Parts: sequence; structure tokens; C-alpha cells
Amino acid sequence: MNSGLQTFADRIIKGRWFVIVSVIFLTIFFGLQLSELKINSDILKSLPEDDKNAKLLKEIGRNFGGQNIGLLIVETDNVYNTASIEHIASLTESLAEIDGINSVSSVTNIINIKGDDFGLEVGQLVDPYDLPTTPEDFEVLRQNILNNKLYKGSIISEDETSALIMFYLDEEAIVKDVASDVIEVSNGLNLPENLYYAGSPMLVSYISDLMRKDLVTLLPIAFLVIALTLFFSFRSLSGVLLPLISSLVAIIWTLGSIALLGFNMTMISNNIPIILLAVGSAYSIHVVNKINLEDADSYEEKIRNGLSSVTIPVILAGITTAIGFISFIFGAYLDMVVEFGIFTSLGTLYSCILALVLVPALLALGSKKNDTIKKARSPKFKLLEDFSLQLAKFVSQKPKALFLIWMALIVAGIAGIFSIERSVNIQDYFKPGNPARKAEQIMMDKFGGTKPVFMLFEGEILDPVVLIKMKEAAEFMEQSPDINSTLSVADLIAELNFAITGQRTIPEDPDQIQQLWFFLEGNETLERLVNPDLTQAIIISKFKSPDNQSKKVFAEYMDGFIGNNQSEDLSIEITGMPFVDVVMDRSLVNSQIASILIALVFVIIVIGLILKSFKNGVLSTIPIVAAIIILFGLMGWSGISLNIATVLVASVALGIGIDYSIHIIVNFNKQFKRHKNAHKAVSESILSSGRAIIINFIAVSLGFLVLVFSDMIPLIYFGILVAASMISSGLGALTLFPVVLASVNRNSEKE
Amino acid sequence: MKKNSNIIIVLFLVLSISFVQAQDAQKILSEMDNLMSAPQDRVATVEITIRNKKGNETVREASLMQKGANYRLYRYTKPENKAGIATLSHPDGKMWLYMPSFGKAVKITLLSKSQAFTGTDFSYEDMSGIPYSERFNASLESSDKPNNYLLNLLPKTKETEYSKIQIYINEENGYPIEMAFFDKKGNNIKKADYSYVKKGKYWYAEEVIMTDLRKDHSTKIIIKEVTFDIGLKDDDFTLEKLTGKSKSD
Repeated sequence: MNSGLQTFADRIIKGRWFVIVSVIFLTIFFGLQLSELKINSDILKSLPEDDKNAKLLKEIGRNFGGQNIGLLIVETDNVYNTASIEHIASLTESLAEIDGINSVSSVTNIINIKGDDFGLEVGQLVDPYDLPTTPEDFEVLRQNILNNKLYKGSIISEDETSALIMFYLDEEAIVKDVASDVIEVSNGLNLPENLYYAGSPMLVSYISDLMRKDLVTLLPIAFLVIALTLFFSFRSLSGVLLPLISSLVAIIWTLGSIALLGFNMTMISNNIPIILLAVGSAYSIHVVNKINLEDADSYEEKIRNGLSSVTIPVILAGITTAIGFISFIFGAYLDMVVEFGIFTSLGTLYSCILALVLVPALLALGSKKNDTIKKARSPKFKLLEDFSLQLAKFVSQKPKALFLIWMALIVAGIAGIFSIERSVNIQDYFKPGNPARKAEQIMMDKFGGTKPVFMLFEGEILDPVVLIKMKEAAEFMEQSPDINSTLSVADLIAELNFAITGQRTIPEDPDQIQQLWFFLEGNETLERLVNPDLTQAIIISKFKSPDNQSKKVFAEYMDGFIGNNQSEDLSIEITGMPFVDVVMDRSLVNSQIASILIALVFVIIVIGLILKSFKNGVLSTIPIVAAIIILFGLMGWSGISLNIATVLVASVALGIGIDYSIHIIVNFNKQFKRHKNAHKAVSESILSSGRAIIINFIAVSLGFLVLVFSDMIPLIYFGILVAASMISSGLGALTLFPVVLASVNRNSEKE
Repeated sequence: MKKNSNIIIVLFLVLSISFVQAQDAQKILSEMDNLMSAPQDRVATVEITIRNKKGNETVREASLMQKGANYRLYRYTKPENKAGIATLSHPDGKMWLYMPSFGKAVKITLLSKSQAFTGTDFSYEDMSGIPYSERFNASLESSDKPNNYLLNLLPKTKETEYSKIQIYINEENGYPIEMAFFDKKGNNIKKADYSYVKKGKYWYAEEVIMTDLRKDHSTKIIIKEVTFDIGLKDDDFTLEKLTGKSKSD
């Protein structure tokens, strides 16, 4: 036995009180940080600064304030009736009174400039003090909307069943508070119409609520599930409590670190507690298992021997799991994925340290009492021990059959990989029937979608050449089947020109434009369309299709226009969520490949270095590579798409699943050295680590399966896929890996 | 019985004081309105400086002709690309805009008065010229500025963008010093600072600065070369005068 490890174990046993008090102190410290922990589910904020689409999108948000738009959809049989218009008016007024909302626009307050024989009428579509009542009044309103390009299909749906109320948030508004006030105020009016909420602020706050709900409800369930698994496996209080305590402490330290370093919880880091519960308990399970299995005269001796023999595999497991998570920082598109990688990795290291330090220290506390009962422990594991024995027999008797089964699974997996779909659509995050999903659907079906598209023009904006180019660009854009309508300052000038001259065009005389501008200046809408220096202006539009191919086609289509129309005096750029989606979609595959490869390489290096054999490093990855191929096959065959959550599964599975191989190979090396017989070494290592691996993958899988109760679809799939990977990598380590080890070491055996 | 009569007396006194105070406040407000529209007519040069959040300024200049409170004609002279644009206001909120490069005047019917007046921080409601005492009920508040009344104005109808206006009025001469405008949420959204001077027998606002507190945006109006009571007639405020064309054109 390595004397350094023995000394380490001795120090833990002797300094148990110091360890426990230090852990309590640190837990209180990190626990106090938790009150500062905030949830941020805004994908926009997580977009990277180095992607030109994301950068431009953020820049437009800053320079053309008020792009943070919430949407309230009022749905009824037909909106054109006095009661509904009255309700829309009171909703509009009530929303305008909410702090953080700087303006609200709906059919009942939207400005309307129209020209007739008498001149220009600057007013509102609906007079708030004289609402329409007769069929004739409604016909006038209907025609006013249908004849105005700016309003047609954007404030009342063309099927007349839905009206849209748009509210613009202040730059410094607390989005979550505004969103909850909007829901409270609008529900408080008790209107008979159906109300749906959409748009980024509502969605962000809706997702935050779901995340909070998931954290509060799923974590305790995961605890319970893992506790029950541990109880049925160890049948002892320490076997249940120690893994749970150490993972709970690791969770508190990790979340505390997130808050301490000024980061927020995101849609993805919301998973961290459940992952750490699974990972953290796994390390402790191995430590408790190893100590329990040791045969020694005193309980302290058992702890010393057990701890010194389990330290290397647990450290290896910790480092490799951390590598699996940290690999997300390479090639991940969203900042939130990078943060998730860093903090889960940190949490894994915390878990690893706690399993090696806190668990033995706590066990050492009860050493005297346990000395007397140690002999009574063995029968409790009989079932798993029998299973491990049968498994060891099966592996040594039927290696070829096992190998063929695995090969068949791998081939099926590879075949499935080609059918994997990708999804970056936020609607897909919600279950069917969910109000947020329904709202997005209504927006898509009736108001041309919610994904904003912005085309930025830089030049002398009031130059007729620029305005004409903007109008052409808008018309070109509208020819795309996914663009319903556009809005730009060129439209406002053309509409005003129409009101005065009867021609809906941009005047060619610069003086005429200046004079029309004189009239338009000060209109609030302008701030969202043109900068104060009149050197930048945007065309605002919405993209309808959720389909990624359509987004790519649109991006290419618009690139064609931009390429042909830019000049020295005019720069044109386009961005928006469809463009971000295309890059995000591409990055899903790239970051998936990059993170798996990087994790694999590092895992091989670390295992190779610690076990002083790169051959062992490479061999250890066989079960997990098989498990990952099967995982992708499962995704392909079942239609579970690759999205911002499921893209994490392979690396998570690699990080956690590699542990099983490490335990087997460390034991195998030890046994092979002792017996010089590969078959015996394989059987011994299955017997020694099999039980812990089985308990571990059952506990971890059940822990992750709790995510099926989540309200967010990506998390449900994440849970299912990690559980499936755990089972396959666990079984791979116990069946495929021993077959490979036995076969590879047959030659050395003969020597 | 005696107790009841005491209560009645106290109530009567309180109500009387309130009534007298309200009467006084309304009177002060009417007098301010009268002071603002005292001249029969005026001709002046108006310099309008618009300052945005970044501190950038744009300057416009216009000649102004005004008769009473209701007839007004602005004709812009600066900047060059706006020169010749003119607005004509008639009683009851009627308004025309003349754009020389289109060669015609267009009537503007203003149904929404909260809109900003051509890029300034004044809304069409602020520029309406309708006396405050006709639109608001005033009450007297205790003033924190010496030698100034503080009036609290609440709208008589819903048809205003403001829920309240607070005005400090010079006690001695009755002209406004400062106004604070509150939106329907009760937030102070704008403020106006006035500098009154006397020319001949009339007080007039030589300088007004309207600041939009939300947008950190302001508009300064300076009245220069003002002349009063020159005998302008209603005929000086016709469409022909606005466009510079005779009817036969």
C-alpha cells in the first residue's frame, strides 16, 4: 500500500474534527452567499460578444432603445366589438401604469397619420373617449387598419380573433418584476377574453419561474430517489447519509461560488444541483463501499485501508469528470454553457474533495461504535454481491457473445447518428399546451412570428438615395415567405408623402424629405428606428418559420441583396434571432465534436499519467465511447433533438461514465499484478467494484431521471439521455471493458 | 346639542377656508393666463435650441406673429434646410403646416395632443394656447419658495396627458416661474423654467426651458426682438398669408 496515501488517510482520521469544523465553517460561508444568487434566463445576454450577429443584435438593442418588447395577446371570437375594444383600452391603460414600462401601444392608442382632401389627420386609430359602437364605426376602423401597411396584420390579426398589445420596457427595468406585474394587472381585470403573453421579457421571466419551480421541486425528489437507492444498496444510515451530506455540501459550495463570483443561474446551470447530487454521491458511494469492504481488525483500520485504496480512483474520477465539464468552454457558443462547464467542473472537484475528506472524517467519528458491528454488515449486500459474481462468471464464460452484443449496439448507434435532428427553437422548450408555447404559436400563425430581424443602414439617413435603398431592402425582404411585414423610417416618410401627395414613395427632392422630417420629428416611434444623429437607421421585422433551413435560406437571400447594394457611403448589415439561431445551430455540432474530442484526449492523458500507462488511458475510454455512440444512436432513433441542453449530455456522460472504467482498471491492474491471470483479475475487479458501480449508476440514473418531471422539454430529455448513458457506460465498464481487458492482457499473462 | 353645533361651526369654517383658498388659487391662475395673453398681438424672432441626452444641440430660428392667444404663425428661417416651413394656428386647435418644397399647406387635425411638437419637448397640448384656468382646477399649496405662490392644478377632463401640474407663480407680478408636469402614473416627467421680463406695459417670457426628465432632453425658446400691439388683424393669419400665395394662384 502506498505510504503517502496511508499518511493521508491517517491525517484525515486523526484530524476528523478539524475537517468537520472547517467544512461546517465553509458551508456557512458559501451558504450565506446564496441569498445573492440570481436567476437569469435571458438567452440574449448569453450571446457571445465575438459573434458578429450577436454583437450587432446587442448593439442595436442598446442604440435603438426599447427593443425589449413584451406582447400581450387578447384572443376572442372577433375583436371588432365595443366590449373587446374597451377591454383592450383598459389593458393598454393599466399596462402603461406599470413601473418599468415606458410605453404601450395597441389598437386603442396607436397613432394614425392619414391624408385626405382636407389635409393631414394626426390622431389615433380609435378615439379613447369615443370608442366605436356601430357596425359602420368598426368597418371604418377595419379599413383604416387594412389600408395601413404599418398596422395591417400587426395589431389585429387578419382573422380578427386576436389583438396585440405591445409594451416597451425601460432600459433599466427589472424584467422579472415587470413581467409579473403585467400578468397580475391583466388578470386582475377579469376579462372574458383569453390572454397570452409572449415576447422576450415574458418568456425570460416564464422560463425563470419554471427554473425556480424545477429547483424547488425536483431537487428534493432527486434527494429522495438517491436516498432510497442508497438505502436499498447499503442498508445503513451512514451509507445513505454520507453521500447525501457530501453532495449537499458540494451543491452549497458551488452555488455559493457562483454567487460570490457575481454570476447568475441560467437555464443550463439550473441543472448543476442535480448533476452534483448524482456525481457527488457517486464519489462518496465508492468511498463508503471501499471502506465497508475492507477486512480489518478495527474500524479505523478499515477506514485507513479503504480510503488509501480508493483515493487514486476517486481523484482520477474527479479530474476526468471535471475535464468532461470543462470541455464545454471549447467551442460552446453560449456564455451560459461555458459558465455551466466551469462551475460544474468546480462542483465536481468540491464533491471529490468532500468524498475523500468529509466522508472518512464522519465515518471516523463513529469508529468505536462500528467496531462491534462490523461482522454483521456483509449479508446486506448479498443480492448485489451475487449479481456481481454472476456477472463475473458470465463475462469470463461468454466473452464473445458479450462482445457481439456490444458491437451490434454500436452499429445500431452509428446508424442512428445520421438521423439526429437539431433544434434551437425556444418554443420547443415548452410542453404542448403550455401557455408560453401557445402564445408563441399564435404569434407565429397570426402576427408573423416573434423572432426579430434587424437590418442596419449606416450613412446619411435622410439622403433620398439611402431612404430609397431602405425601401427597396424592405420590399426585397417582404418577398421572403417568412417575412410578413417590415417597419422603417422610410415607411413613415413614404406614408406621410402619400398623405400629402397621394404617392407612397420616397421623394427624390432632399428638401421635401427634410420638410416631411420636420413634421415627424419627436414621434416616439422614431427613437426605435433611427439614431439621434441620423447616421444609423434600422428596418425592423419578424421572422416566421421555426425551421432552421428556412433561416439559412433567408440569410443567404439577404446576403445577396446586401452584397449588391452596399457602397462607400452606405453600409448595410443584417442580424436578428434567425441569424443567431443559424450560428447557434452550427455551433451545436461543432461544440459537441470539440468538447467530446477534447474531453477524450484529456481523459486519456490524465489516466495515462496517473496510471503510468497510456495504453490504459486509451482502453479506459472504450466503454464510454461505446456509450456515447449508443447515446447518439438513441437520439437519432427516438427523434430527441440536439439542443442547448442535450448537447451537454455526451460530455456529462463521458465525465461521469469514465469513472466506472477507472474503478475497474485500477482494480484490474492491482489484481493482475497479484494473480498474473487476466481472467481472474477481471473477475476480482468485477467482484470488488461491481457492486459500487451498479449502486452508482442506478443512483445516478434515477437522480437524473427525476428531470422527467421538469416543465422544460430539453431538461426532460437531458435527464433521460444522461440516465441512459449512465446505464450503458456502467454496463459497458462491467461487461465490454473486462472482455477487452482480458483479451488485451492475454499475451502478458502467458509471459 | 352644543357639541353638534360646534362640529358644524368647525366644519363650516374648514369648508369656507377651503372654498376661499380654491377661489384664490383659481383667481391667481386666471390672472396668470391673462398676463400671458395680455398683449393684443406680438411679432418676434424665436430661437429654439433643442439639446439631446448627449448634449448635442440643434438650433432653429423662426419669425413669430401672434394675435391674442389663438392666432399664431411661425415661419422658420433656420436651419437652411427647414427655411420656409411655416405653421399657422387658429382657434379651436385648427392648424396648418406649410412645406414650401411641396408648394402647399396641409391642414393638420390633431386628435392626439400628447405628441411632441416637431421634435421639441413641448407637446401639442403645451402649445395649444388654451388658458390653464379653462383646463385645470387650481388649489393653493404652501410654497417653499419665498415670494411665490405654489398652485396645484388638477385636470377638469380626462383629455389631457397630465394628471397634475404644479406651478410657482411670482406673487408680485403674477407670471409663472416654474412648472412641473406629472404623468398619469404620478411621475414628474417634465419641467419648465420661465424667465419673464417686462417690455413696455407687458411681461413676457424671454426664455423658457422645457426639460423632459425621462429623456434628459430639453428645448430652450428665446424670444428676441419682440414688438407688441402693432395692430395685426385676423386677415394676417389666412392660408394665403401662410403660403405666400393669393387665392387666384
